[in-house]
Amino acid sequence: MDLMEGEEELIHTAVGTVLQSCGAGREALIPVLQGVQSRLGYLPRLAMQQIAGALQIPEVEVFGVGTFYNQFRLNPPGKHQFRVCMGTACHMMGGNIILESFERRLSIHEGETTPDREYSLERVACVGCCALAPVVVVDERVEAKVSPIRVDGILLTIEIEKKEQDAERQREEGRDA
Amino acid sequence: MNGTDAVEQAYRLLQSEARQKIGVNQDRPVILLGTATCGRAAGALAVLDAFKDEIEKQHLDVVLTETGCMGHCYAEPLVVILKPGYPPLVYGSVDEGKARRLVSDYLVSEDPCYEFAMAALEPNDVFPTFADYPRGIYEQRIILADCGLIDPGEIDHYLAKEGYGGLAKALGGNPDLVIDEIRESRLRGRGGAGYPTGIKWTTCKNAPGTPKYVICNADEGDPGAFMDRALLESNPHQLLEGLAIAAYAVGAEQAYIYVRAEYPLAIKRLKAALEQSKERGLLGQDILGSGFNLEIKLFQGSGAFVCGEETALIASIQGQAGLPNHRPPFPATSGLHDRPTLINNVKTLSYVPHIIRNGASWFRSIGTPDSPGTAVFALAGKVVSTGLAEVPMGTTLRNLVYDVGNGIKNDKKFKAVQIGGPSGGCLPESSLDLPIDFDSLQQAGAMMGSGGMVVLDEDDCMVEIARFFVDFTQKESCGKCTFCRLGTKQMLDILAEITRGQGKIEDIDLLQDLAEDIKIGSLCGLGKTAPNPVLTTIRYFRPEYEAHIREGRCPALMCKDLISYRIVPEMCSKLCNVCIGSCPVEAIFTRPDLLKGIDPDKCVKCNSCVFACPPQYKAVVKMSPPVVEKVLAETVEGGGSEVEQGSGTDH
Amino acid sequence: MKLSREVALTIDDRQVKAVQGERLLWVALDNGVYIPHLCDLREAERTVASCRLCFVEVEGLRGPVASCTLPVSEGMVVKTRSPMVDRLVRTGFELLLSNHRLNCAKCAKNKHCELQKIAKERGLKLKLTRLRSLLQEAPIDESPATFSYDAGKCVLCGRCIWADQEQVGIGAIGFIRRGIARKVATFEDGCLADSICTQCEACVKVCPVGALYFKVDELQLYKLKKKC
Repeated sequence: MDLMEGEEELIHTAVGTVLQSCGAGREALIPVLQGVQSRLGYLPRLAMQQIAGALQIPEVEVFGVGTFYNQFRLNPPGKHQFRVCMGTACHMMGGNIILESFERRLSIHEGETTPDREYSLERVACVGCCALAPVVVVDERVEAKVSPIRVDGILLTIEIEKKEQDAERQREEGRDA
Repeated sequence: MNGTDAVEQAYRLLQSEARQKIGVNQDRPVILLGTATCGRAAGALAVLDAFKDEIEKQHLDVVLTETGCMGHCYAEPLVVILKPGYPPLVYGSVDEGKARRLVSDYLVSEDPCYEFAMAALEPNDVFPTFADYPRGIYEQRIILADCGLIDPGEIDHYLAKEGYGGLAKALGGNPDLVIDEIRESRLRGRGGAGYPTGIKWTTCKNAPGTPKYVICNADEGDPGAFMDRALLESNPHQLLEGLAIAAYAVGAEQAYIYVRAEYPLAIKRLKAALEQSKERGLLGQDILGSGFNLEIKLFQGSGAFVCGEETALIASIQGQAGLPNHRPPFPATSGLHDRPTLINNVKTLSYVPHIIRNGASWFRSIGTPDSPGTAVFALAGKVVSTGLAEVPMGTTLRNLVYDVGNGIKNDKKFKAVQIGGPSGGCLPESSLDLPIDFDSLQQAGAMMGSGGMVVLDEDDCMVEIARFFVDFTQKESCGKCTFCRLGTKQMLDILAEITRGQGKIEDIDLLQDLAEDIKIGSLCGLGKTAPNPVLTTIRYFRPEYEAHIREGRCPALMCKDLISYRIVPEMCSKLCNVCIGSCPVEAIFTRPDLLKGIDPDKCVKCNSCVFACPPQYKAVVKMSPPVVEKVLAETVEGGGSEVEQGSGTDH
Repeated sequence: MKLSREVALTIDDRQVKAVQGERLLWVALDNGVYIPHLCDLREAERTVASCRLCFVEVEGLRGPVASCTLPVSEGMVVKTRSPMVDRLVRTGFELLLSNHRLNCAKCAKNKHCELQKIAKERGLKLKLTRLRSLLQEAPIDESPATFSYDAGKCVLCGRCIWADQEQVGIGAIGFIRRGIARKVATFEDGCLADSICTQCEACVKVCPVGALYFKVDELQLYKLKKKC
């Protein structure tokens, strides 16, 4: 995955900061990976290499741990992340139908990000809101009792907000010009 | 004994300080709003804002506190109002409008708005309490008792209610006395396996090697289980106290709480609780002046169901992939960094303070002789009252489903109850009178598991449920051992084919044989229990499998490849277009003859139209085997349609 | 210095002697009793117990036990065959075959493959009868000079990784991903020649099947060297 301009420095800084607070040795690996991902949004190759060097672990082992757990992503996420819960209750109340609705609307499969990097779609293992199934986590917000129509609503709301933000930005640029 | 007195005194001092602080609020009305994760999902934060706003507008002197989960998830957002002169009242399904009314009508005026109250928390002459409902009769709250009623972010609330009194009592005496009490109580692990806790503690205590570790397993991975989440978000100090007592008992000075990453609010509340605990000297060096030191670290999981397994959890803490190891050696003897490590579930540790405070015989007086105490269940699925319930062991499944859960939603017929998540099994109607305890459930082929209980009705396909669970365990398999890595995929492929109408009759026996081998051959609990949903559904619901295979029919009308939808002309009003509006893919259209048609190529079988069609018409029906009506939208002449018999395959 | 205690145990009605604490699997093998096995290495400190083929029945223990995890003790009574053991080995073997690129005739390890040995010893067929094939297409890494890596033949025993990380201490390969996607790979799952692999061939020498194998000419050379 090609890095964007300035991203290399960002990675160095992020990794350095996290390593300082997490301690040394193999035991620090997972907290370090979590810390780096929370800052960068994903685990770039360069970051994994730096971490391997700092903790004195083979690079392939860092990669192995990074690819083992659901949470770690090796590709950048979308600006908006949809996590459809795949718990039992959510499944029974139509969780799969909700996932398919998102896939249809966004034209991507679960686990993917849209080409414009705006949206990514994932399944998530039970967030523990089973009484309010089916559940979707939109960025940090838990949406309950989601229906296919609500999926359209969620996407529409985001699009409207985006348009408003773009319009606002243009107005400000117009003012500054 | 000097030691005992000094520790006890230190504790009482903390407690009286806490009580004083709270006592200040004695005369003010208190609003408790549940803002645990499910409360938030139901809109509790908007309700919180509404309260704040209205309180300000009315210039009221009121205490507004965010609490955790009371377990009545079907009625979230939940509010409790304590107003002097009135019994404490619980309100359900509170929205912003009701919140404002509660402030203006109840807090300002004297109208308690009984019309949307659920129950009173104390017996009184005006309004029923929870004990007046069947659910209340069967529930007996020990670890859920304070959930939703105290501020999880305020250690003073916990201290005031005897919180940390168990720890003080333990620290005042010999650690062996603590282990004796837990052994006497016959407490069994609530993580799923039901192993006697006291024996585990003894093993760890006696195992050679230092330092020793205690780990709280809060990696509640069962989809459908949220008891641990509720406990962590609603009463984190109860867990911390239990954890500290356990550490003291086995001689550990380092503890971990392994929380799954998917519980961010729980992690936040735990962090806050840990800090407060430390501030008060209930954690860290020389706790309550007893000389006992304990450091508790929080470890966040990274998303792997298998990490709920002890040895995989340990591997994870050690910075490795969550791969289980063979046992023996058991973690109690050789675990984290090859040292004796005690691992217990959140619920198990939450019982500990109560047992130490009230005694082993008190605990044994509840539940059954072999499974004493209570069990916390997360009731989900097709019951009316979903949520958390804490009942004594020995309560029957029937009680749980019909009395606590208030029966099946929408008057549908009960079909099965799935207990224990993906490691558990599906039990049919004939098992409803089984008492819930570790041993009876195991005999029936299910497993208590962590307490997740999903109720299924006539619209749920048992083959699909089996497929769903195997799909889950297959995706979560760590891949280390042959039987689980490859066996779950084999089972999944077979089940998927059956749900698509492509199964062969030999497949049922093949599934059975494979399932039995995977159960024995797998390395860890994930693989060993992954076949349970398959084995129980074949045992109790074999006819459903056969219908799929022999007739291409899904009796529950759920399996997409085996159903079709039709709008019955005689039932359709022909004048409303609700179904058309409800369809997310615009598959429904009005034919030239004003009847409605569904384009089978577009239909995604999402059931939206079924739900949307008004109850007086109920014109949308599902059929299995599928009947494909060839759509002749263009034909004007009488607007007929040809009916093709779908794949009613013969095997 | 503590002297190792010698113990006497019975395997398939035959009395054998062994050093107390040795793994039962190796005691049996050393005494000419074959037990199917793929993942354990005598020299390795820890047992992974992942292949799940070395089951035996031990008197006093309930159900079949993996013999690589059992330290021998005085008076142990072991049976390496039983209906349950045979059934488990058969299913475990078939499962491995269902994810294995089966073409013995063309395989570099033909006649020297542990899977073939297991099939012969336990009377199992080298083809899929009841199970579906789970094999996904995967390219063969032919980038190293003297050997190749065919992931489609890998049984995930992990011996190669042990050789690379513990024996020679290079750390070029490891397990990545999870579940059925789990495989032996390099950092970022690239080809071996692009990694820090020094091509020391330690991994090839321990691979029990045809996943890591010498390229034809090299194989002849290796066989010649071994004869000297």
